[in-house]
Amino acid sequence: MASNFDTTAILPPPRSETGALGWARANLFSTPFNSALTGISLAALTFALVFGLRWVVFSADWSVVATVGHRFVIGSYNSDQACPGNNCFWRPQASLLLVTLLMGMAWGVARAGLVRRIAILTAVVAALFALLPYSMDRMGMDVRLLLAANLLTLGAGWALGRYTPFGSTRAIAITSVVFFALTIALMLGFRIGDSNWLQPVDVRHWGGLTLNLILAVAGITLSLPIGIALALGRRSRLPVLKVVCVTFIEVLRGVPLITLLFMSQHIVPLAFPDTFPRNSLLNAGIVITLFSSAYMAENIRGGLQALHPGQAEAARALGLPGWQTMLLISLPQAIRNVIPAIVGQFIGLFKDTSLVYIIGMLDMVEVGRTTITGRPEYQGTAQEMFVFIAIVFWIFTYGMSYISRRVERNLGVGER
Amino acid sequence: MSTVNTLLTYEGIPIWRHVRVIQWMLQIVSAIVIVALLAWFFTNIGNAVQDRDIPFGFTFLDREYQTPIGEHFIPYDSSDTFRYAMFVAVTNTLLVAVLGVIAATALGVVIGVARLSSNWILSKVALVYIEFFRNVPLLVQLLFWLFIVLALPPVRRGFEIADSIYINNAGISFPGPNSGGSFSMTLIWVAMIALGIALGVVAHKLLSKRELVSGRASYPVAAGFAVAAGVAALSWLALAAVGDAPMIVTSPEPAGRFGRIAGGVTIRAGLLILLIGLVIYTAAFIAEIVRAGIQSVGRGQVEAARAMGLSPMQALRHVTFPQALRVIIPPLISQCLNLTKNSSLGGAVGYTDLTNVGITMTQTAPAVSIFLLIMLAYLAMSLAWSVTGNLYNRYISFERR
Repeated sequence: MASNFDTTAILPPPRSETGALGWARANLFSTPFNSALTGISLAALTFALVFGLRWVVFSADWSVVATVGHRFVIGSYNSDQACPGNNCFWRPQASLLLVTLLMGMAWGVARAGLVRRIAILTAVVAALFALLPYSMDRMGMDVRLLLAANLLTLGAGWALGRYTPFGSTRAIAITSVVFFALTIALMLGFRIGDSNWLQPVDVRHWGGLTLNLILAVAGITLSLPIGIALALGRRSRLPVLKVVCVTFIEVLRGVPLITLLFMSQHIVPLAFPDTFPRNSLLNAGIVITLFSSAYMAENIRGGLQALHPGQAEAARALGLPGWQTMLLISLPQAIRNVIPAIVGQFIGLFKDTSLVYIIGMLDMVEVGRTTITGRPEYQGTAQEMFVFIAIVFWIFTYGMSYISRRVERNLGVGER
Repeated sequence: MSTVNTLLTYEGIPIWRHVRVIQWMLQIVSAIVIVALLAWFFTNIGNAVQDRDIPFGFTFLDREYQTPIGEHFIPYDSSDTFRYAMFVAVTNTLLVAVLGVIAATALGVVIGVARLSSNWILSKVALVYIEFFRNVPLLVQLLFWLFIVLALPPVRRGFEIADSIYINNAGISFPGPNSGGSFSMTLIWVAMIALGIALGVVAHKLLSKRELVSGRASYPVAAGFAVAAGVAALSWLALAAVGDAPMIVTSPEPAGRFGRIAGGVTIRAGLLILLIGLVIYTAAFIAEIVRAGIQSVGRGQVEAARAMGLSPMQALRHVTFPQALRVIIPPLISQCLNLTKNSSLGGAVGYTDLTNVGITMTQTAPAVSIFLLIMLAYLAMSLAWSVTGNLYNRYISFERR
């Protein structure tokens, strides 16, 4: 059919409405007020960038980060008091190998997507650390080899996940628990005959980012189930259970974590007989986990409350017993709907691991603080130190929120 | 046989399968377990207290504390009792909490609105701010600010702006009301100011109602402020006529050989750092809450407001924000709570907040009792925030339905 229109007469939109110019007009200079905002923000941004870059490149002295490097990672774990002979540095590094092995397995199972990217990124970053000139005087080469070996373990894990019976989600879940226990055992150490290549290291000396990560992993894994149990207890019709759960949740939520940590060290031991082992790491872990699970319980309760009662009623009508209704119908939906809140809580937990300084543990932040205040030669480099620590924390926390957004998208939250 | 059956059944069902029986048994068992655990803990604490001669009880409250408290805003002296010292510490925490919440809410609203701005650069700047400060531990941020302030020159060689603002590593001093007169006079004046603000709110209510009914401009906001300021000024004059003037605006000046600064308002380093850190950190969370709240208001609302001729600012002020507030308030309350609890990090930057004072107290008094009191104080503060917030929430949801 012939067109009645002369197509050449349809003009393209004016230049000022399309392309970069149009975009700038629409998004930056749509009104005089908007133009002023753009001008002010641009000026502030330029100032901040120039000032910041000049500081980062010219005036900042990053050598402090490199010199203290290994202490950031493990605190005083390899010090003379903790590990006579200073031959313990390899143990946290070996734990890292377990992590990359596990990530390789997850990649082998998931085949592609986010898991692969995270696994590869972790292993490559870990391997790249081998190139850093950080002070590993007495352990030197072997630690670098261990770091570089992360690439190998990643590959091995991938092969395991891809081609062996280990390649299932369940196997990975079990392996991760086993590996966590292995990591703890490796870090704790034990005597083998007369040799001291695995000599015990007291938990008082655990520190650095390793401590933050161990506390965070244990806390995140345990606070979710405890939080679910507390949430269910709070919704229970049994008055005794309900009162106990409500009291527990409200007291823990109403008090600062730092107060609880201090109490865990100085008051809670009184409540146990003297024969009980005193362990500051365990104390910190338990308090952080319980504190976090109280918040978690409230998030999950929110999710359960938002759920339409018809879901549970339909399940009951189909003949599912109460616990199956909860476990298979209500909880999965409730948790899916509050993923952002749960991950927010995980991030909060990770950030809160920096508070263990109050019970004298040397986590990454405390390493930075004690270095600045304890050594006169580093006194002028506090900004470099804390900017570095902030960036390390930021990478982990932002990574967590990024993963949560991806998971949410994959689960189709808010779409069905 | 039949007697056994009737004994072991309840409403015709074997008792071990009856829901109510099972629930009762569960309750009894859990109650016994909990009571037994608590009893065990308390016996252990009792034993420990006896064996190791750890003092317990609350008699220490009447003893003299004999330790200075670095910063205090109500009169305090080392010869005061533990009870009073504890109270001073609570006021310190309350001061940070109230100032911090006000400043963090203001900054958070600005950043949250900026995040939704149609201006691309402004929106991205707000995004970077939120994603950075929200994801870095507060302690790291506090230590960062602490060492920046510590790197400032000492008082004698500190910065001076226009002979009236002094910035140095002890804090910042600027012209302002100085409680030169007696403390009780200041307290009375503060009470009068509170009364003035209450009267101002009433005036604002009455005038805005008149404006709505008659349609004539009645300037309710200006009138409210005028009433509050008027009451404050008049009561100040009255108090000054009776005795000492409660507060006089003075300019800070170097005094004495050691470069001490007297007069004006001085915000000391500890409080300054804690406030900066808490406000910047909490504002990032509040900004996200504000963003979510504003986004929860339907687009049609803003479009309708614009179509009726309201400017974007007016639409935000009169249409979007009042509706967003209902979504914003509950999470905002929990942020106020978090800020209050996070102020317990004051010890790390040299501010004597409740936790910090409590930890110092444990050196000369029973730790168990002190921490019991501290926990009660924090729980009371949490409760106060929740009650205030919930009342406000009920008030706004009643007003605009």
